[in-house]
Amino acid sequence: MKKIYFFFLVGLIPVLTSAQTTTDGLMMSKGSFCTGFMYSHDQWKNYWEGDLKRDNGNLGKITTQSLMWFGNYGITNKINVIVMLPYMKMDASQGTLHGMQGLQDLSMGVKYNFFKKEFAKSTFKAFGVLNFSTPMSNYTPDYFPLSLGTHTTNIAYRLTANYKLKSGWFINASGAYTWRSNTKLDRIAYDDGNDFYLSDEVKMPNVFDVFVSVGYLKGPLQAELEFIQQNTLGGYDLYRQGMPFVSNKMNFSKVAALVMYYPPQVKNLALRASVGYTVNGRNMGQSTTLMGGVLYTFKFIKNQ
Amino acid sequence: MKSFRFLGIILLSFTLILMLPVSCNKDIELFEQLTPLEPTNLDADAETWLSVNNDATDVTLAKITTAAETSTPKVFDPANDAASVGNINSDAYKAELASIKDLQSKLTNDQKKIIEYWSGGGVLRWNQIIRGLVARYNLPPAPKADGTYPIPDAENPFADPNFPFANPPYASRAYSYVSAAQYEALKAAWHYMYLYDRESPYKNDSGVQSLMPKTDLPSYPSHDAVLSGVTAEMLKLLFPAAVEEITLKAAEQRNAALWSGRASSSDIAKGLALGKSVAALFTNRARNDRMGNAIGTKAQWQALADTAIAHGEKPWISLETPNRPPMLPFFGLRKTGVSTGVKAWILKDADIIANRPVAPPLTSSGEMKSETDEVKYYATHLTRERLAIVHKWADGAGTYTPPGHWNDIAAEYIRDANYSEVRAARAFALLNIALHDAAIACWDTKYFYFNPRPCQLDQSIKTGTGVPNFPAFTSGHSTFSGSAATVLSFLFPGDTEYFMAQAKEASDSRLFGAIHYRADIEMGLAHGKVVGGFTVNFALTDGADDN
Repeated sequence: MKKIYFFFLVGLIPVLTSAQTTTDGLMMSKGSFCTGFMYSHDQWKNYWEGDLKRDNGNLGKITTQSLMWFGNYGITNKINVIVMLPYMKMDASQGTLHGMQGLQDLSMGVKYNFFKKEFAKSTFKAFGVLNFSTPMSNYTPDYFPLSLGTHTTNIAYRLTANYKLKSGWFINASGAYTWRSNTKLDRIAYDDGNDFYLSDEVKMPNVFDVFVSVGYLKGPLQAELEFIQQNTLGGYDLYRQGMPFVSNKMNFSKVAALVMYYPPQVKNLALRASVGYTVNGRNMGQSTTLMGGVLYTFKFIKNQ
Repeated sequence: MKSFRFLGIILLSFTLILMLPVSCNKDIELFEQLTPLEPTNLDADAETWLSVNNDATDVTLAKITTAAETSTPKVFDPANDAASVGNINSDAYKAELASIKDLQSKLTNDQKKIIEYWSGGGVLRWNQIIRGLVARYNLPPAPKADGTYPIPDAENPFADPNFPFANPPYASRAYSYVSAAQYEALKAAWHYMYLYDRESPYKNDSGVQSLMPKTDLPSYPSHDAVLSGVTAEMLKLLFPAAVEEITLKAAEQRNAALWSGRASSSDIAKGLALGKSVAALFTNRARNDRMGNAIGTKAQWQALADTAIAHGEKPWISLETPNRPPMLPFFGLRKTGVSTGVKAWILKDADIIANRPVAPPLTSSGEMKSETDEVKYYATHLTRERLAIVHKWADGAGTYTPPGHWNDIAAEYIRDANYSEVRAARAFALLNIALHDAAIACWDTKYFYFNPRPCQLDQSIKTGTGVPNFPAFTSGHSTFSGSAATVLSFLFPGDTEYFMAQAKEASDSRLFGAIHYRADIEMGLAHGKVVGGFTVNFALTDGADDN
């Protein structure tokens, strides 16, 4: 019954896969609404128990499939509202454990392009994002690695800097601090990897992440390489052969490649695909994530 | 201008939301808070309450006093030391009082917190601590590269795997040894306290403050120190890798007794010595209760399967990958030529055999097919409500086990009853000897029949919690819960309905989670109630409720 925490990857999927998302340097123009669905498939067999890399015959491969609705509306050219809602399905390929599926967390963010400086051959922009997420169903946080998530309400503060050459090449860097509420279990006592508590409430450590991407964006093509580092600010390791627990320390480093294409034949349509791989982690699965999505932009206000 | 206002609104919202997490602190609500114990009855006659006494290895008050009064040096020598102990004007005792006054004048906040912590009652505190130890050590060994599993080694407890693997049978035995030893030690403490009848320092010297509730309980030997000594010694035997934590807690408890003005240093020294001597008697019982034979050998495991096959049954196999040896197959099994099982507290071997549940349906029968189909129904209809029940009672790896869960349930009733320490110890002792005997009776049944789990008979069945690595018939949760609810209903008859409902829910949770058949849970629950009844029968005549 070894497991890994997986839900961070889930939390990460939007980061890895959406254009005009919270971590990038793009904005929808005023009155535009970009929406669509993204499907992702994430799987791991090996995981890190503390810093020990291992697999587990009682789990085999853990697969998470997610179908996420995405929407991004331009309130102004500088202020966007971004909404995401994933439906998730988790399964283990070996062992007896029952899979889980359901709506996970609704995420709503306000992205504000608070600074912009144009140079002769380039542009620098800075963004602040305030993101709020909360569970949309009564899924259990006490069933890792098959829980849909932590069942916490989160508030993330993000700063993003983006530098883009007129030639199309860009570099983007983003960092966020995420405050997480406590979570509740269906049981009245638990061990969090360090101490024993007579409570059904679990104190959840906060999270910090850094996201860096370099790529090319011009005409119908966007392509980028990404690096993500996410660390739990607290929490403890899995015990040896121990059950994973919602508040464990869960760190990972992930690399990903993303392509987005706007087929010239269909105006306002965007296709996107990405692949990601966890290169290092702690109390996390070493997952490979594939994603594909279709987005369409409605323009309620003609470009000025 | 307009964008300026917008900026203002955004900044304001940011600020407000930024402040939200800062103002929301993450302190969690803890259950089972203890307030300073003020017992409604001191139970001055506790020394007359009967001990469990089935054979020569059981520990009675007579054995304890004999050991304490014939050891070298003697812990107690009432014929010769009563006068000196009783002389509260001796220089030695005055020096002890002076030392307490000095300590009390310099108490730090941390020391005051320690006093407050232990004033909630030593028996309740230790029960909480033990539950934490069980949860911490309830971890199955990880498989080796060759697919075999290492066995935890009591002589090398810090290694991987840690010793012990505090699985349900181990845990039930641990809870019972600690509780039984605490109970007998406190009865002996009561015996000597009323024999010497020396009062607490705060009564003997008005300059000594009482930082815990005042009682008329004599203080030589200090019952807190007795409890610290007996508990620490038992826990070091049962959880040797936790020696540091155990030793520190025990020392804290003695310090709390001293700093609070409840006991002097000689009260404490004698209490500690008595506690340790009681632990030595129980340790001797533990070393001879046949726990060492509970794991068995590969050939013995195969023989269990062969026996099942000979009866026309499909034998149990481990559902783990790689296959894990069965959990403590000879912990309970009473079978001539195969195993005599671990010694029970109350049940005799004949009782265990006579009350063993009748055989479940044959694995090849139509009845078993329909039972499996019912499990399949629950597996494919795992509602959130049923999953919550499954997880409430899962009590699997990394938890304090079902016996720990029933200690958890009992603790708040015992707290609210304002029992004296010795009566609280009796309540936990009755509960935990019943749970231990339930473990033995259930493990006897499981390995007598060696029946497969539902997902062995139908591999399409998926479970809402981990499948325990031992045979299905009968359900351990059901047996534990039946026995515990029976004992708690005896202790707190006004809440019988609640305890029985909880036991039924615990039992049902195993069917809802698709890890047990209906026969396992219904027979287990009924069997547990029978086992609990043996403990209740003992308690009815132990003299504790005679007033």
